Amino acid sequence: MNVYINSTGHFLPGKAVNNDEIEDVLGLIYGKKSRLKKRILKSNGIVQRHYAINNQQQTQISNSNMAANAGVSCIEKSFIPMSKIQMLSCATSQGDLVLPGFGSMVQAALNLPEVELHTTHGICSSSMMALKAAYTNIKCDDVDNALVIASELTSRLFKSSRYEQVESNKIDFNAEFLRWMLSDGAGALLLENRQRISGKSLQINWIKSFSNADVYPVCMTVGTAKNDVNNKTWQDYETYACAEKAGALLLRQDVRLLDNIVSVGVNGFLKLISQNYVRPDEIDHVLCHFSSKYFKSKIFDMLETAGISIPEHKWYTNLYERGNTGCASIFIMIDEFINTHDLKSGETIFCMVPESGRFNCAYMHLTVAG
Amino acid sequence: MENNLVLTEAGKRCLQMLLKVWLDFDLAITKVPIVQRLEQQRLSVEDYQKLLINMRQQVIEGSRWISRCASSFDRHYSDVRSSVIRHAQEEHKDYLLLEADYIATGGELSTIESGNKNIGSEALHGFLMYRATQPNPVDLIGAMWIIEGLGNKMAMKWAKLINEQFSFECKATAFMEYHGENDESHLQELYQLIDRLATSDKNITDIVRTAKVVAKLYQLQLQEVDNDN
Repeated sequence: MNVYINSTGHFLPGKAVNNDEIEDVLGLIYGKKSRLKKRILKSNGIVQRHYAINNQQQTQISNSNMAANAGVSCIEKSFIPMSKIQMLSCATSQGDLVLPGFGSMVQAALNLPEVELHTTHGICSSSMMALKAAYTNIKCDDVDNALVIASELTSRLFKSSRYEQVESNKIDFNAEFLRWMLSDGAGALLLENRQRISGKSLQINWIKSFSNADVYPVCMTVGTAKNDVNNKTWQDYETYACAEKAGALLLRQDVRLLDNIVSVGVNGFLKLISQNYVRPDEIDHVLCHFSSKYFKSKIFDMLETAGISIPEHKWYTNLYERGNTGCASIFIMIDEFINTHDLKSGETIFCMVPESGRFNCAYMHLTVAG
Repeated sequence: MENNLVLTEAGKRCLQMLLKVWLDFDLAITKVPIVQRLEQQRLSVEDYQKLLINMRQQVIEGSRWISRCASSFDRHYSDVRSSVIRHAQEEHKDYLLLEADYIATGGELSTIESGNKNIGSEALHGFLMYRATQPNPVDLIGAMWIIEGLGNKMAMKWAKLINEQFSFECKATAFMEYHGENDESHLQELYQLIDRLATSDKNITDIVRTAKVVAKLYQLQLQEVDNDN
């Protein structure tokens, strides 16, 4: 059974926030302006983003409601009503509730009857995991369609008050790094087992991912304190307040390990080439969820040397204007890409989602159906 | 990075495969316990000393197989021979840097001089000498690729991590750092050799095969650092 992406949608909360306004929303830690902000923003190239919290750091819309809004915007442009959706597959790095699964909350928000439900949990690549589950479910003829939604509300982790709870009074670089990288938003894709006449049906040729958690230490975390050597995680503390005081609830990126994501991403790409999944010269468009301009040049360098680089004009991203919305980014990117490009039958799209969490990298190949 | 570093289509194909072998090797050695300790900054001084002792044997032998490799190229490959001789000349006294590093960590010269090859070094050396003895050992470009890559990794990553972890009175990472100097020109030379020698499917297969064997044996050599033998 062939599987097609037949509609896409997204939701970005509130107005776009430019670089000068970030601290108006997230707050000043101990009333002081960040010294790192400028440097990190310069290297990631992001110029604006959206937040689901307001200037008082109050949540304006929940993660599950953002997901539902993206789902509605996707279905409104599709050929089927919401009531005909057979499977709902959702991804997030952190739902509004710890339990139940994020998908349950999104289903309720969408008022979807009797769907088969799937939730994936992880970081950037969790959307691709949710997409793969939906894709295989249609491919094996178990369902006719599936709505796949990825949504992130990370700004709640970046409120100034979070950092001020940490006992040591010192904010380490790794804990502040992502404050200037990530923002909120949701994206949705509708998958069906038949193509539509919209001219925007994209056949999914394959989805593959290679995880390297066996090789590298964890690189992006919530749940453990800085330099913890006892494998103590947030629930191991006597109280949650103790965990917060120890800094175990901050979102951290071990920036020293970050470089490894480049070789992990290129290695997977070379594996796909050697296994004949993809030929670089036959790729028309590349949509890559890279976290910064810095990675972009590194990836380009390595591929160029190997003679399998894809010319820069084929690369598309909206990361700089929509922000890095974690797992939602690739769906938001696909949505805007489809709606701003005059796609022709047979054109190919190569998607890549490297996740630095513990070094998983997901890839997808699409062909414009004709 | 410059464009068209590798000019021929066959050379590009070869380089693409070599890059894959390198990245797989890089992943594999990241899982080797002593490398994990180094990269996660849990290395002891004794570990670093052990690493230097174990590497010294291979470094000394390294200059031998490259020299022999050069002499095995006949007159049809005289240009290749020149390039390989240059390479051997540049590196055949690397071990002196390594020994100085060992002494800077507080080790005795006599200790490192009396070290033996570990099991992995035996296998690696045996394989390289055997291949270098074959007429026109084109495939050894694959060996140079892996060893050059590791040299770069040592210079760019390991030396920095070691210097962050320890504060020796005298410089103790000259050997590792040395491989970062002239890195770009070494890479250029390797690219030229690939262009020159990756001219048939058979040559490409041989080069990639030898790169894989050397990668695996180098991995074994690093694994054996933790074993007293």
